Amino acid sequence: MSTPPLIEAHNLAVRYPNGELALHNVSFTINSPSFMAIIGPNGSGKSTLVKAALGLIKPAQGSIKVLGYDSVKQVSKIRKLVRYVPQRDRIELAVPMKVKDIVLMGRLLKKLPPRFASSRDTEIAKEALRQVNMESLWNHPFPELSGGQRQRVLVARALAGEGSILVLDEPLAGTDVESQDLIVDALGRYHRENDVSIIMITHDLNPIHTMVQDVLLLKNTVIGIGEPCSIMEPELIKKVYGPTAKIVEHSGHRYCLTRDSGFDRHD
Amino acid sequence: MIDIIQIIITSPFLQRALLAAVLVAVIAAASGTFLVFRGLSFMASGVAHAALGGTALGIFLQESGLVPWFDPVLGALLFSVLVAIFTGYAGESGITQKMEVAVGVSFALSMSLAVFLMYYIPPYRVPQIWGYLVGDILLLNDLDVIMLASTAVLLGVITLMFNKEFVYVSVDMEGSVAHGMNARAYHYLMLIISALAIALATKAVGAILVYAILVAPAAASNELVKSVRGVIITVFMIALIAELIGLTTSFVVYVSPSAIAGILAALSYILALQVKRIRERVHMDVEETTSTPADLVETFNQSIAIEEKRDHNHEH
Repeated sequence: MSTPPLIEAHNLAVRYPNGELALHNVSFTINSPSFMAIIGPNGSGKSTLVKAALGLIKPAQGSIKVLGYDSVKQVSKIRKLVRYVPQRDRIELAVPMKVKDIVLMGRLLKKLPPRFASSRDTEIAKEALRQVNMESLWNHPFPELSGGQRQRVLVARALAGEGSILVLDEPLAGTDVESQDLIVDALGRYHRENDVSIIMITHDLNPIHTMVQDVLLLKNTVIGIGEPCSIMEPELIKKVYGPTAKIVEHSGHRYCLTRDSGFDRHD
Repeated sequence: MIDIIQIIITSPFLQRALLAAVLVAVIAAASGTFLVFRGLSFMASGVAHAALGGTALGIFLQESGLVPWFDPVLGALLFSVLVAIFTGYAGESGITQKMEVAVGVSFALSMSLAVFLMYYIPPYRVPQIWGYLVGDILLLNDLDVIMLASTAVLLGVITLMFNKEFVYVSVDMEGSVAHGMNARAYHYLMLIISALAIALATKAVGAILVYAILVAPAAASNELVKSVRGVIITVFMIALIAELIGLTTSFVVYVSPSAIAGILAALSYILALQVKRIRERVHMDVEETTSTPADLVETFNQSIAIEEKRDHNHEH
């Protein structure tokens, strides 16, 4: 028996909460397991696509399935499989959470109340923090960390959890090279060593393009789908990101240069 | 000391006041803490005033003979739950600003309704409505204490059971939903149970004390204490101490115990801000004295030297 595809969208259309059309005519299939990246400029509907797949937003038209489960009818099945890290600025900092509380959240959210952390949970959470070189800050207040450190802790939250799909929304936004490398290496290693799929939203493919298998290029609809190098086509990237985008080749890899930075938000 | 114990044993109103002080501190620790975490401290005030509007409606229904059995307390509870549901609905996406607006609107609506209904209520019952605003912890009857105790116990048990869920909803609503937690249910549970407790506490001790005791100690602790459990315990301690000092003072001097407790609670927040500022100043001093890593400086100097050399060569 073959495994159902990781994500399968049929003629999907999704609206932003303000009624504007975020995505239209989206149809594609990504096989499982995969390390996939969803890329595109700001406001291209990347987060919206993921939220539709997780049943956080209902499609206006069409359907999207995750491992064969429909995002509307079988949403509880999907949520058992998923570990999700939203954009960093969606994490409220007014609550005095410790680093350990955030990482343990990844495990405790899948339990039933009262959600006590067992010694195994603690062990796994510590190991996850070690992967992103943050284990020494186990007892540190989360809101006092720098942006890049907070992002690493959130990635550790995903690594510590259970479920065969990791979904990360802009885990590299606003991070320095050191944090980027730690996050990318940890995710790549985790994907190689475990039978999991990783879906990562990013507006910059460069840090991960040697690692990902499938890339979905979005600009409110599917512009391209394929391997990283087939997406890194100068003409294609120029059309999507604007005329200032450039592709450069360096030591056998293509890199994309854009002026695009920051991450997009849609409330 | 023995005198004080003797007074407490012989005066039931003092016993009730002491018990109420502990119960209000429990409500502050369980409810105030999470409201401040969610940036919703204004809701304590909104619900307290909604209770006032609900009381006015209750008295009106009773006096006009429309619904003679309708106790004003039912009106207060009904209105506070409505405010909680309205606020929860506005904030389902997890955005605090929208909830604050909803609280503000319901605040205005229930106060307007209260004033509107006052024209149709016999004048001798109007003070009962204003009683919700001022209140007096020394004038409680047994029923007040029983109602306050049952809601405090209910709130305490629910908070003990679901504190992680309440925290998760506050920290990362979207992520909690995506992981399969029924975040919306916990979001409403937290708001509704808080609203019920606030409404009954308001009836017992008055809106102004409830607001001071629910918000200020939680805000103070949240500035200084770095763990959720720590904040809850500190809130309980600050609230209880403020109330006990208030009660004690009212025996020595002719003052309202609620006023003293409210002033002390507010001062605790100002003090916390000062302590935090001093701590930060100490941190800054430390940072100024730490030097830049020597190897980095060396690398930088080397790179400049190479750069200069190159320029030098270029000129010749």
